Amino acid sequence: MRLFWVFLATGFAIPLFGQQFTVSASTLSNGMKVLVHEDHRIPSVAMYFFFKVGSRNERPGTTGVSHFFEHMMFNGAKKYGPKQFDVQMEKNGGRNNASTGPDLTTYTDWFPATALELMFDMESDRIRDLAFDPKIVESERGVVYSERRTAIDNNPFGVLFEQLTAAAFVAHPYHWPVVGWASDIESWTMDDLKAHFKMGYAPNNCVLVITGDVTQEQVQSLARKYLEPIPRQEGPPPVRTKEPEQLGERRVVIERPTELPIVGVAYHVPPTNHADEPALDLLAAVLSNGRTSRLYKRLVDDGQLATEVNMFNQPSLDPGLLFAILQVRQGVDPGKVEKAMFEEVDRVAHDGVTTAELSKARNQRLVALYENFKTIAGKADLIGTYEVYYGDYRKLMTAAQDLEKVTAADVQRVAAKYLSAKNRTVATLISGPEPSKESAGKESSQ
Amino acid sequence: VTRRLLAALAMAGAAIAADSSPTVRLPPHTRQSHANGVVLLLAPLAGVPMMTAQLTIRGGSESDPSGMAGLAALTAELLRSGTSKRSADQISQEFDSIGATLTTTASREAIFIRSDFLSRDTDKLIELFSDLYAHPAFPEQEFNKTLARRIDEARAAKDEMQLALASYFPSFFFPPQHPYARPMNGDELSLTKIKREDVVAYHKRMFVGKNLIVAVSGDFDSKALTSRLGKLPFLPGGQGFQGAKEIAPVKFEGSRLALIDKPDATQTYFSISQPGIERTNPDRVPMMLVNTLFGERFTSMLNEELRVNTGLTYGARSQVDRDRLTGAIAINTYTKSDSTVEAIDLALEVLKRLSEKGISEEQLASSKAYVKGLYPTQRLETDTQIATLLTELELFGLNAGEVDDLFSAIDAVTLPKANEVARRYYRSDNLQFLLIGNATAIREKVSKYAQKMKVIPGKDPGFVVPEF
Repeated sequence: MRLFWVFLATGFAIPLFGQQFTVSASTLSNGMKVLVHEDHRIPSVAMYFFFKVGSRNERPGTTGVSHFFEHMMFNGAKKYGPKQFDVQMEKNGGRNNASTGPDLTTYTDWFPATALELMFDMESDRIRDLAFDPKIVESERGVVYSERRTAIDNNPFGVLFEQLTAAAFVAHPYHWPVVGWASDIESWTMDDLKAHFKMGYAPNNCVLVITGDVTQEQVQSLARKYLEPIPRQEGPPPVRTKEPEQLGERRVVIERPTELPIVGVAYHVPPTNHADEPALDLLAAVLSNGRTSRLYKRLVDDGQLATEVNMFNQPSLDPGLLFAILQVRQGVDPGKVEKAMFEEVDRVAHDGVTTAELSKARNQRLVALYENFKTIAGKADLIGTYEVYYGDYRKLMTAAQDLEKVTAADVQRVAAKYLSAKNRTVATLISGPEPSKESAGKESSQ
Repeated sequence: VTRRLLAALAMAGAAIAADSSPTVRLPPHTRQSHANGVVLLLAPLAGVPMMTAQLTIRGGSESDPSGMAGLAALTAELLRSGTSKRSADQISQEFDSIGATLTTTASREAIFIRSDFLSRDTDKLIELFSDLYAHPAFPEQEFNKTLARRIDEARAAKDEMQLALASYFPSFFFPPQHPYARPMNGDELSLTKIKREDVVAYHKRMFVGKNLIVAVSGDFDSKALTSRLGKLPFLPGGQGFQGAKEIAPVKFEGSRLALIDKPDATQTYFSISQPGIERTNPDRVPMMLVNTLFGERFTSMLNEELRVNTGLTYGARSQVDRDRLTGAIAINTYTKSDSTVEAIDLALEVLKRLSEKGISEEQLASSKAYVKGLYPTQRLETDTQIATLLTELELFGLNAGEVDDLFSAIDAVTLPKANEVARRYYRSDNLQFLLIGNATAIREKVSKYAQKMKVIPGKDPGFVVPEF
């Protein structure tokens, strides 16, 4: 195997709040991108792997397999057998987690600098030679089902979010839940798992970010030794399906036992790397961030219609959704809450926002951005997220300026363009009888 | 969708591997005690141009008058509802406009008012905070609105089973007169009893110099800030809050089981608890090491059996209260209704194993490395963590040795000591079971666990478990 290290950029530094923020970037010969940021304040390291595979790369019948796979990655490989990843990690003072979304599966390790080589060894082992023990697959199926039961089936917000998203997308794979439909969780086969691994865990489909008490040279030499020998594979095929334009408002009603009703609204918005994204971000802040936001004032404070309102936009590679979730006060008609919310949204679209509101939203977002710079974990997350969603981590360096450039007219324009009645899906969760059985079908027994 | 709900919740701690730098130190800081009793803690931390300011008022839910659970937490939130100079709107406007956060929370021991803000806005923040804590007006209308919203929030908490379990726990575990026997944020029963005058009186009594701790950390010039804060008209000294003395730590004569009925549930959430330790207990370090192994990390005995080996749950853990008075050690997890008994049996078996067989030398070494390895990122990395840590030491009357000597205290724990602690605290008798789930499906099967059992309809108002 040819071993070489291609330098795309080294020591790329930008002045961020008066200090140099340096990231060195390189690509291994097998296509894995490696980004390093040194920070020696505490003797710890954050190591994040971003695999560009998620529920959008699934199909009906195997929904949830990306997330299931995230669990399997902790269940043993060739050199480090079952449980060893966690056992070794914890006994060396480290901790890990992993998460799966529609676009990405992310593995996050935090550990003392002394465990750096061990982590490279263990990570390369599982990326290259994961084991597929049928007994472990069955046990892990139970764990994932338990996760679904907790996060969705027994949680009114979980049910609402799942139904709302499914109604908003009729064609694109964002339609199904990341955790998977219950019947699919019961039915994945070993072949589904193996095929998914081969496709999603290709080194050329991965971005590695390391921040903390390391040197770039140390990381380079360990990456060459452990990760570069992993052979390149064909990554996931492009997602071909595009969501057709929505032609009118869609509505979903969910009946289940609940103390308070919930209203969820989802608007189709462009992907994260779209030019309108900063304006949409500030629009969401003006509408729902803080007690002086328009929706909080109108719905929670003045109107006493809702206990809380939250508007958020998840990063997405394909066109995604901007959500608003409102918990309705006791005795209030959900229709009234909804109407008040739409009036506020329309008011922005018709009359725009004030300079003070815009400046407030910018400051709020700036503080949130800076918060992430306080920790090595936050920085690893930011660097990787920008690299994946914008195709270039250096976009992070202009995040503050991009917010600066947004004008009040931009915010008004995106409100009118995306937050229209025709472009929205509304889900209402109201109190009703309990579901007759758990989600779907029988559950696998352990 | 994340792999570890647990990891995010777990406090854990751990730090540098044993063979590298073998210690951690409390970051440089100053501590000043003013004549009126106010304690001022400053810890500069260069890096991001931001700061954290945390005001702590001793008392917390411990100081809630009988029948008025949630008064401390409510008062904390109402500080932002208006002062003699500013309306609620103006206050929110002034914080929001500079992007500063403002959060108010309550614990058993104190209420906390915290802001994260850009260093350039320091003067503004000092002015706002001074106005908030010293001159709140508690306008009637804002009081009514906030109270009504908090009552609805308490109702909604019943839909989130984990939250509901935690809310029922105090009145289940502690005897009725115990200061910990009430939910921190109150419930619909206690909140409806609170009047505006109660809030005013609480503020007058509790917001005094002797109860106030101010901690600031982040990017600032220590000298300039010290002189700026030194000139503040802090509060009158007043009467410092003295919590109830611990006459006899909570103790049980027999096992009890309370089942909160939620007919729509497809899962059972349960907690198996027994008395633990208080924050300053001399056994706290060995206890931390034992509990890490038992239920505070992914490879813990509980998680290994209930999640990894059997797939019965998404996560199982053991939690040790670290409060002023003796609290609980509680096993917490959940499973589908059908496997309730299987999961409880297994949890009890793991508990028995720890208590009877103890831990091994290898396990102890692993726990030590884990606790030390994670400590820096969990307690010493950010301004907020540092302000929180300094406040905690002050609140519990602990000194810098709590951090500076932590690693040597960890190293000094021997296997016999750890096993003695395991035997003494992790017992299999007189256990207290609290369950939330579908009573029709499970009540008969779970009755075998305790000498006394009660079924409480989840629909009943409040988070109340009647006396057994």
